[in-house]
Amino acid sequence: MPIASSLLKKPKLVKKLKAFYDYVNNNDGKVGTKTRGIDLNFNNACNLRCKYCFTNSPKGDHVKEYLDYDAIANLADQADELGYFEFDLQGGELLLQPKKLFKVLEAIKPERFYMYLTTNGYYLDENMAKRLAEANVSRVSVSIDSMDEKIHDEIRGKKDSWRRAMEGLKHVKKYGMDPYLNITVGHYNAHTDHLKQLLDYSKDQKYKTLLNVAVPAGMWQKAEDIICDDEDRKYLRKIRKDYKNLVRNIWNPFDKTNEKILGCTTVNRLYITPIGDVLVCPYVHIKIGNIFEQSLEEIVKFGFSIKHFSNHSDLCLAGEDKEFIKKFMTKSGQTIFKPALAKDIFSKEDFI
Amino acid sequence: MNNKEKYNKSFIDTFSIEKNALNNLEYNAITEWDSIGHMTLIGELEKTFDISIETDDIIDFSSYEKGIDILKKYKIEI
Repeated sequence: MPIASSLLKKPKLVKKLKAFYDYVNNNDGKVGTKTRGIDLNFNNACNLRCKYCFTNSPKGDHVKEYLDYDAIANLADQADELGYFEFDLQGGELLLQPKKLFKVLEAIKPERFYMYLTTNGYYLDENMAKRLAEANVSRVSVSIDSMDEKIHDEIRGKKDSWRRAMEGLKHVKKYGMDPYLNITVGHYNAHTDHLKQLLDYSKDQKYKTLLNVAVPAGMWQKAEDIICDDEDRKYLRKIRKDYKNLVRNIWNPFDKTNEKILGCTTVNRLYITPIGDVLVCPYVHIKIGNIFEQSLEEIVKFGFSIKHFSNHSDLCLAGEDKEFIKKFMTKSGQTIFKPALAKDIFSKEDFI
Repeated sequence: MNNKEKYNKSFIDTFSIEKNALNNLEYNAITEWDSIGHMTLIGELEKTFDISIETDDIIDFSSYEKGIDILKKYKIEI
């Protein structure tokens, strides 16, 4: 029997997801300028000190700011109207502050979205998983760096991180939500046993594996050696076929051959910071507006007026397009709280 | 191919499963039949039978057997 947060109990979500499916199908399998998801970082505080954090939370960057509940409710209403069907809550670490988290969920009204959380899993105990399922959360993504407990804990900067994260995934599954094991793949680990062990474990447990490519942003800004090269990308195409439970935002999720590319989803998936800035994606720290200054519709329209974000790209701009990275992501001090401004960084030729 | 074979093929191709897994198959019972899998299946059935399935029916389509009932509405006898 489907749980409360199941797709089949969310008619608004079904309608929007079907619209997305039809659009992609009629657009040669590509995402084009169709709205897809909102990634909301409502507070940047975190209990871990991950070495490659893209939000600079380990540096204490803006950890005291919160996006207020009314602003979140307004954002969610506008996103719903524009057809956004995925809503991903991120941090920082959301489970650090459960009282605030559940108020945020209430403001969003998750019955309208495929609602999910991205977490390090440290506080994802059974009781929390139960509460999240009851609050209409459809999925929980837990970030795992290795099947080697010591390596994961070392990267995350805290002992017992791995054990708690792994247990957390089991609780997610127990309470009927979709468990996603999030992995980051770069040139440093693409062909390693570590990666294979993670993929095998996730498949055996019947989880989904969300693959994010390593991006030179946040704590890793200017770390060009982490970027996947052509051989790495070829390998990722191979494992996509080997592991049917492997997903990536840039891949067409409806393609049964596991080959087609949806395209880079900048602006299709927006990233909102705790101060209301709207970035084109979590990893491309370019600002196209602020929710306190413009409507979401205006911001999206502006975003898609920029060629890089409306034209199709087979490559992830942030993690694979070296030309784009060099030109637009290497401004000194560029972070999610000090993003480059689209109106400044792009010239006339970059606009449609 | 008759309608039953086409219907079965839609499930088999969408979820990469064997024919013997079809009976009593329900939404979320297998990893592949999640929200994305559901839309892919619906799309496949629409293409196969040249129909457009309404939102309410997409929501009600919770199992292999239920789907057979729903398709009757669209004059597709399985």
